[in-house]
Amino acid sequence: MHWTRDKSIGLSLVCVGFFALALLALDIGIYWFARAFFVVLRGKPWQYAAFTVASVYLCSVPAWLTLWSLWRLLRNLRSGAVFTEENARLLRRVSWCCAIAAAMTALNGLYYLPYLFVAVAEGFMALIVRIVKNVFQEAAAMRSELDLTI
Amino acid sequence: MEIIVNLDVMMAKRKISGGELAERIGITQANLSVLKTGKAKAIRFSTLMALCHELNCQPGDLLEFRE
Repeated sequence: MHWTRDKSIGLSLVCVGFFALALLALDIGIYWFARAFFVVLRGKPWQYAAFTVASVYLCSVPAWLTLWSLWRLLRNLRSGAVFTEENARLLRRVSWCCAIAAAMTALNGLYYLPYLFVAVAEGFMALIVRIVKNVFQEAAAMRSELDLTI
Repeated sequence: MEIIVNLDVMMAKRKISGGELAERIGITQANLSVLKTGKAKAIRFSTLMALCHELNCQPGDLLEFRE
């Protein structure tokens, strides 16, 4: 199947929309999910579920910010503004959001070890996005110089 | 220190308008304006060559170094 540039960006926008819906569902249902997972299935004390609910709500803030930044980034790409300072700023924000979420998740690893693996994945994601941000920043500087080359 | 572009002086000497020069050397009037006002960060050899050809001058007549 031949995918044009606009269709590919459209697919990414749809994916961001799906993740937003998933995050909304998580925000609404995390209390019941955490309770069912820790208390009912695993037989752990209620504090496990309480800490998880608290951390999910705390991580939800950077997650929403990330989705909003990705949405704006994709809209900029669709309008043809690719290597711009604004896009680099959006990517930097996404990177910081991943790093903050990684730090919060790592704290949860203190009482439930598997969270540490999630924290490492989030930290790695923050690093990747940060490097992509560096590429965008350099490209934006090069473009601005090229624009003024006659 | 800076490089001054004396394009407007040379254009006045040759009595040629911005629009006409831009058309002859194949750049837009906006880019010619960027060049004239000294906002350009770089100039391609091909552009300089075309300017020298159309204005019948040397690169030194168009560019000047000032401390």
